[in-house]
Amino acid sequence: MICTVLFFFWKDGGIMIKAEDITFNYIRRDTEQNVVEIKLALDKVNIHIKKGEFVAILGHNGSGKSTFAKHVNAIFSPEEGSMYVDGMDTSDLSKLYDIRQKAGMVFQNPDNQIIATVVEEDVAFGLENIGVPTKSIRQRVESALKSVSMWKHRKSSPNKLSGGQKQRVAIAGIMAMEPDCIVLDEPTAMLDPKGRKEVMDTVKRLNREKNITILLITHNMDEAVDADRIVVMDHGQVKLCGNPKEVFCHVDELKEYGLEVPFATRIGYSLRKAGLPLPLGIIKENELIYSICDMADEMRVDKRALRRKENDIEYMAEPKAYKPPAPKELVGKSSLILDHVSYIYNSGNVYEKTALKDVNLTFTKGEFVGVVGHTGSGKSTLIQHLNGLLKPTEGTVYYCGEDIASKEFSLRTLRSKVGMSFQYPEHQLFENTIYDDVAFGPRQLGWDELKIEKNTFEAIRLVGLQDNCYDLSPFQLSGGQKRRVALAGVLAMEPDYLVLDEPAAGLDPRGRDEILNRIYSICKEKGIAVILVSHSMEDVARYADRIIVIDDGEIVYNDTAARVFVNADALEKMGLSAPKVTYMMRSLSEYGFPEYPYIIKEEEAVSIIKGWFAG
Amino acid sequence: MIRDITIGQYYPSGSVIHLLDARVKLFATMIFIISLFIEKSVINYLLATLFLFGMIKVSKVPVRYILRGLKAVFFLLLFSCVMNMFFTRGETILWQWGVLVLSREGMINAAYTGVRLVYLIIGSSLMTFTTTPNELTDGIEKAFRPLNKIRVPVHEFAMMMSIALRFIPILMEELDKIMKAQSARCANFEEGNIMERAKNMIPIMIPLFVSAIQRANDLALAMESRCYQGGEGRTKMYPLVYKSRDWWAYAFILLYFLVMVGIKILIRS
Repeated sequence: MICTVLFFFWKDGGIMIKAEDITFNYIRRDTEQNVVEIKLALDKVNIHIKKGEFVAILGHNGSGKSTFAKHVNAIFSPEEGSMYVDGMDTSDLSKLYDIRQKAGMVFQNPDNQIIATVVEEDVAFGLENIGVPTKSIRQRVESALKSVSMWKHRKSSPNKLSGGQKQRVAIAGIMAMEPDCIVLDEPTAMLDPKGRKEVMDTVKRLNREKNITILLITHNMDEAVDADRIVVMDHGQVKLCGNPKEVFCHVDELKEYGLEVPFATRIGYSLRKAGLPLPLGIIKENELIYSICDMADEMRVDKRALRRKENDIEYMAEPKAYKPPAPKELVGKSSLILDHVSYIYNSGNVYEKTALKDVNLTFTKGEFVGVVGHTGSGKSTLIQHLNGLLKPTEGTVYYCGEDIASKEFSLRTLRSKVGMSFQYPEHQLFENTIYDDVAFGPRQLGWDELKIEKNTFEAIRLVGLQDNCYDLSPFQLSGGQKRRVALAGVLAMEPDYLVLDEPAAGLDPRGRDEILNRIYSICKEKGIAVILVSHSMEDVARYADRIIVIDDGEIVYNDTAARVFVNADALEKMGLSAPKVTYMMRSLSEYGFPEYPYIIKEEEAVSIIKGWFAG
Repeated sequence: MIRDITIGQYYPSGSVIHLLDARVKLFATMIFIISLFIEKSVINYLLATLFLFGMIKVSKVPVRYILRGLKAVFFLLLFSCVMNMFFTRGETILWQWGVLVLSREGMINAAYTGVRLVYLIIGSSLMTFTTTPNELTDGIEKAFRPLNKIRVPVHEFAMMMSIALRFIPILMEELDKIMKAQSARCANFEEGNIMERAKNMIPIMIPLFVSAIQRANDLALAMESRCYQGGEGRTKMYPLVYKSRDWWAYAFILLYFLVMVGIKILIRS
């Protein structure tokens, strides 16, 4: 479907970006310049964007959305068709720098786009390039930094800033050029929830107050909800186009494109499917709640009677608390215990920092444990104790009853038994073939060739890679597949425990679901304990049996998921939150519906609400 | 250990030295290094010590922080001292074993070499501690601009240096992460002979190179999209303009140099 949106402004003056039938191919060549592969990245794309509009382009990884963004900035020019930015043709080389000033671009990785070592000098970089006089450079840098609220950090080194702050500096660098349009290529993909919010708030404010045209490339649906218009891309084509309400009606179609819909739309869709007369096009949580209340009024559902009814008692009751197994129960079983563990960085000098304070935890096989905490809370320090990468300053770590710090204990065995994958594990791949990379760990363990082979094949199968991939180079794969190879490399060592730091970071919705579902089934089928560190409360709520909340180096909660998320207010104070569905149930109870404080899964909520309207 | 490398990092403490023009500091560092080679005498080295530590004091950079930077080059220092110790031919032989000869002159020579190297490193790192890489780049660019005439790409070199300095801490962090990730896969960096150790570095070096190239690629794209077109026609947010304190600093450093030369003449005569 080709989508050309008609506007009231027919004159070019009202149009910021005009892409007409643009086509672009990536051509891969071998060392002798022969063409090996041609990949169609953009296929007759038509997109028109008005001045002052906020447009989100959605698409899975590899759908062509970033390629389109690079056309706006004249980094690429179309092979066929034409691209105009504020009336200027991007293939006209004489206009190149005018176009780049008009339409600035913010990239995904915050570190790789900051050129200078001081914030204000980085913001000035673009202005210096185009030869702005010194005096006005300073004025423009000042107003740009103020517009992203980073003025007080102007003398800081970018290395000392958080991810969200770095992205705001990058935005300031563009703002200083006084652009009409900012193109943001997945600006929040590498940030934590706080950084995401900072960046998105800044972008929305610039759009609203300074009337800057925003083109946001993303696969995060919550960011797209506030856009004026959404363009959905797949295989280099524009598939859907319209305002968020229109686009998010196509729930199944979006799923086909590897995307999802916002939380409220998803719940509304499930309820509609169950036959409830909810309106289409619900995209925000409060709309959903109002619609449910309206529906209750129309259908004359007696909320008070619902409250008296006790048919849903299983969902209402307080779930059982987690009780760590008694030492007796652990005899002869596999266990991983942290006993009064404290850890201090740079002990004894000015940079001293306590990262863990008196942590007591027990892990046993087969559990799925979520670890949550804001950035810097100590969660990565915690997980590095589990396989002996860090040694506690005080306290002891026991693996199957043995002190891992003792001389006789083999750290190599521990590291094979407690497999660990850090954030972006695909960055550690190095071998020529996928097989060799996965077999790296087993070979280090000195196993015989037969066992290595068996485990390697088994691991590759477990992560769901194709059978014919063994001899491919891992560098040829897509991001999500590379991550599976890295995960297979850990699984090949036959771990009993699998520690995963943000395994879904940067993946699109489909990639995220696939990898997390894999991990979940590996946990349940093989009885491997999974310890999942995540910023996403939704993911943790969906998969984890138990949740550990860490704040400022201390364990605040260590309990079953539902009992942790009931403390939403306390979690918010720590910079965390509860899953959206928990908040929804809470709001509904404020409107007179029965109270279900322990609901953390969307399916449960849907079946409860269905129950209300069934009778 | 890797994170301890402090050479080449900026330390903002807002001292007078921080405010000086980068060209002055470049010149001063050069003069200081030359002054170390004027004469091997106790008086010269005492004066150099006084000068260096006086500057550190004024710069407000903690001495401990500076000394930490030496840890990284410790082996280089040790190596050159030992080489000097054994390979300087001298009259008074203190100890001999086969080809290894330890002489009084050798000892003295080694001591001077050691001190000289340490001062050289401290002196030049004091410059980077007090000068942001951008200032330094500007300074180099402006000081060496005449070389442009003979087609030396001064701006490009300066830019490359500044970017290298910006990415050192990022790549260090990356290295740390990769080492941890490979350790978690049972990689071993501590055992084995030199060949095996070198082989064991492959799982670290390849990912590091891949990441560095990726970053370079991203950075080039970011620079290009911000209208970077080389040194031609660039303006500056903080153009280098000499102030009176810079001239005083020039005078001071020249005075120091003349005294050093004066001492040499006095000793020799």
